[in-house]
Amino acid sequence: MTDLLEVRNLSKYYSFKNGWLRPTRVCALEPINFSVKRGETIAIMGETGSGKSTLAKLIAGAEVPTSGEIYLNGELLDPNNYQQRCREIRMIFQDSFGSLNPQLTIGKQLLEPLRFNTAWTPAERQEHVYVTLQKVGLLPDHFDFYPHMLSSGQQQRVCIARAIILEPQIIVADEAFASLDPSIRAQIINLILDLQEDMGISFIFASHSPEIVRHLADKILIMHRGKMIEFDSTQALLTNPKEQLTKILLQSEQLNKALKHTTTQE
Amino acid sequence: MSNILDIRNLTIELETSAGVVKVLDKLSLQLAEGEIHTLVGESGSGKSLLAKAIMGFINPRWKITADRLWWRHYDLLALNPVQRRLVTGRDMAMIFQNPGSYLDPNTKVGEQLRETIPQSELKGIYLRRKATRTVRAERLLHRVGIKDTAKVMNSYPQQLSEGIAQKVSIAMAIAHNPKLLIADEPTTAMEPNTRNQIYRLLAKLSASQGMSILMITQDLTAIIPETQRMSLVYCGQLMETGPTEKLMSEPFHPYTDAMLKMSFFNQDVAPKTRLPTLTGAIPTLQHMPIGCRLGPRCPNARRACIHQPRLSKVKQHQFACHFPLIEIVHHD
Repeated sequence: MTDLLEVRNLSKYYSFKNGWLRPTRVCALEPINFSVKRGETIAIMGETGSGKSTLAKLIAGAEVPTSGEIYLNGELLDPNNYQQRCREIRMIFQDSFGSLNPQLTIGKQLLEPLRFNTAWTPAERQEHVYVTLQKVGLLPDHFDFYPHMLSSGQQQRVCIARAIILEPQIIVADEAFASLDPSIRAQIINLILDLQEDMGISFIFASHSPEIVRHLADKILIMHRGKMIEFDSTQALLTNPKEQLTKILLQSEQLNKALKHTTTQE
Repeated sequence: MSNILDIRNLTIELETSAGVVKVLDKLSLQLAEGEIHTLVGESGSGKSLLAKAIMGFINPRWKITADRLWWRHYDLLALNPVQRRLVTGRDMAMIFQNPGSYLDPNTKVGEQLRETIPQSELKGIYLRRKATRTVRAERLLHRVGIKDTAKVMNSYPQQLSEGIAQKVSIAMAIAHNPKLLIADEPTTAMEPNTRNQIYRLLAKLSASQGMSILMITQDLTAIIPETQRMSLVYCGQLMETGPTEKLMSEPFHPYTDAMLKMSFFNQDVAPKTRLPTLTGAIPTLQHMPIGCRLGPRCPNARRACIHQPRLSKVKQHQFACHFPLIEIVHHD
């Protein structure tokens, strides 16, 4: 199987004006190489300021990289070609209410990407929005609702609907589960698993929670101070992590208990 | 062990456009001296409101009624505002979510800390008092595990990391040695490493000073390991309360059971399988179901659930459900 997404020497530096002389450069992400297969789930873990969000934004095209290339199906993605990027790679954010436009109804917000990226008639677009709303577990009636009329779980569903409406190949999520209530979070996790099965989407997400990462991810990418320090399958990293940081990040008391439990059973 | 905080059937009513809504519905809670009690509730469960009712941050439009709202030997509802402030100010303290935003952004951390040292503990003339304040402030920072005190005291809140800022707000809270610390989601949106540091600190403070902690949290995965008792609240109704181990191993209430399965799913669920969930969403204030508010989402709901169940008691374990998961054996 060929790689769906290939990241080569991708890096990001920010520069600040500092005094009269040369601007200082701060490294957010050192050159990084990895690849993602179709339908695969990758978790990005790391401490605060380790470059997780930068990496997620670079993949989604929300930021322009300082150097390096991203290939999708062997084709180079131009960092300035938003139309190409937003069709194939879409993003979900942590704050679902903040990422929706409070002045537009749910339906209008979902119609927008279709208006700019497809050659469909208005009737076709409308129909597609209804189908997508049902796919994420909402009703066609929600078309005329405004974001504040929905609960936080439903808002996150709308964000997911907006992400899948163009049938992308990759979804990037930055801490999409962190601010949800436990019962709603479990529903959203199930939804993402269902969508992945139906549509064969690759899913790249940044998360703090070892439980969610262990449940969802095929591979884990560990970041530390802008560097990728480990990248391997979930099972490999759980059983024998090479770095101390990996151990700390994946450690959780409940998880340890669970692992002990399974090993004693075997 | 005697209870220092005793709440029986606390009800808070709010007037909304849809009529009077009971935001807290007959909630009972007991807290013993030196105990860590965790209150778990999803958003809209009224857990922060409970904290406010205890602390006395009360909006005059709320109607608060309770059979009992006692703090040690004070009946908090019978005290007048001035007396109540004295009692609360002396015995209780509270820390919040997002510590950075609760500190004054215009004042250096050291200055804010010095302000919190109680006047009654300072002696001598002006300069002596000023020096004591600084020494006491530094000692407070040491107590919460900050080593580089000079640097922290000399910086503004936004220059500190989340973890340090929360430690500073804990330092301010323990300045007058309170008997009760209410922590309202102190570690939400913190990374696990920092979170564990804060938990260790709170547990240590509770053990060394006999301080009771009421820890409010949203998530069962984010509880202090040392917590002795737990209560689960859903939409303002108490679902289950009991010793942590008992509650985790033998939940009586379907809500507790569901929350446990949703939080610690790695134990019995293989990766990538669907998780057990409660169907539907948390109801809004205007659309609270009658009777047991979990009713519409509960897997075991039957006709009897339109009446609110009474609190049943099995040893120290209490729960409110008509159809508990474990049969209760009556010993008459």
